[in-house]
Amino acid sequence: MRRTDALPALTVALALGLWEVAPRAGWVREESVPPFSDVCGEVVDVLGQPAFLGALGDSAARWAVGLALALLIGLPLGTLMGRSRTLHALIDPLLVAGYPVPKAALILLFVLWWGAGEAARVAIVVVGCLIPIVISSYHGAHAVPPALLWSARGLGTGRLPTWWRVILPAALPQILSGLRIAIAIAIFTVLASELLIRGSGVGAYLFTALDNGQTLTVFALSTIVAAIGFLVDLAYVAVVRRGLPWLEGEV
Amino acid sequence: MTSSPTEPKISTAGLRKVYETRRGAVPAIDGLDFRAAAGEFVSIVGPSGCGKSTFLYILGGFVEASAGEATVDGVPIAGPDPARGIVFQEFVLFPWRTVVGNVAYGLAERGVPRRERAARARRYVDLMKLGGFEKHYPKELSGGMKQRVALARSLIMEPDVLLMDEPFAAVDAQTRLGLQQELLAIWERLRTTVVFVTHSVDEALYLSDRVYVLSSRPARVQEVLEVDLPRPRDPEAILGLPAYRELHRRVGSLLRAPH
Repeated sequence: MRRTDALPALTVALALGLWEVAPRAGWVREESVPPFSDVCGEVVDVLGQPAFLGALGDSAARWAVGLALALLIGLPLGTLMGRSRTLHALIDPLLVAGYPVPKAALILLFVLWWGAGEAARVAIVVVGCLIPIVISSYHGAHAVPPALLWSARGLGTGRLPTWWRVILPAALPQILSGLRIAIAIAIFTVLASELLIRGSGVGAYLFTALDNGQTLTVFALSTIVAAIGFLVDLAYVAVVRRGLPWLEGEV
Repeated sequence: MTSSPTEPKISTAGLRKVYETRRGAVPAIDGLDFRAAAGEFVSIVGPSGCGKSTFLYILGGFVEASAGEATVDGVPIAGPDPARGIVFQEFVLFPWRTVVGNVAYGLAERGVPRRERAARARRYVDLMKLGGFEKHYPKELSGGMKQRVALARSLIMEPDVLLMDEPFAAVDAQTRLGLQQELLAIWERLRTTVVFVTHSVDEALYLSDRVYVLSSRPARVQEVLEVDLPRPRDPEAILGLPAYRELHRRVGSLLRAPH
């Protein structure tokens, strides 16, 4: 073990220690920042509440549906753009214009069109995830070396089958990097939509706790959401690494 | 496929390739006449960027000529064909397939049943001395090993033409010599027609029956030399032969000459 290996753990330990000590020592008010150990206890409590688990299920469903729709639209679109200069020229201006738009700001527009229901909430997830998926698919498909395509063509692969025999697998490493970003964006946008369109989901649950002045619960919920984001990413990278042993470099 | 003695295996006449760019037409190949007999080993040397790779891509059916004709067995080249195998300079393998998966790729595309595919892949894995690496992915192989896989992947299709685009340029000298010797041994057994693009005069003379020396861009044939050295050739011993030294001098002066 190198000397630097322990440093990340040290940083985490110091941060959590400060979180514990600061409210207890009176450096910050306990109503603003409850101590870490209290938050941990509340996390266990919250995880045991059926109402919370129901909200978590609602959010997870929106996350999954939104992400799946974005993938269903973005993957073919980006890949086609990568292989067709015409399509790229047509679509790229929309991406360039859409990239800096804060997607959360679109929520109210969607509410205006479809009402404050599932459609608006899922739509915001789709819009948020679409750009990283389209861009990574585009770059992946665009960067396929001609010699790789020619090798397949020279070994008997027809023009159309090269799409799934060569272009998709060759673009996969980049697509998976984009999907990793999209997964995190989807978590963020689900929460944002539920904070704005209340009714159900972890975001709404969080807002209710805030309304009721339950600081400890707000902290516990935020901690849970952060942990879920972290674990989902960890699991994603592990699954990709194990499922695709041929991948080079980072996911 | 058999070709009559009068009909070359590969033939091009007046072949031209012009690239249309924003700044106008850029000629890459300007009237190239080429022939290779069945079973012949022909090298093409020329200055870097002279269009020799483009010429090979036209023979492969990957790039379309602007004018002139290119035929194999008298039939105009109309696109890629497994009967014409190609090995590129950069190690072009399918990264998501294992060594065996790469080698057997063309057989799968041809619809050869799994069991027969495996048996034939095994033969070519052994031929290219890749035993023990069957389950490895390209990222786990050295450059020389990758080219062995690429060669096996082409040879398994039993092509009657093998196109090679500076295949050994990106490996170290020791590996290169080994690969050259193996290629010759395989060629002497299979007698596949080989068109071999290289910028190394030594490599061209060691391997070939004939050498086409091209001009700088746009490519034209400067001279065609018969390499009348006895086979099998010893890569060290031929260096001392007067005929070798004379050929080497001749090709060298052609490549240096202003044109």
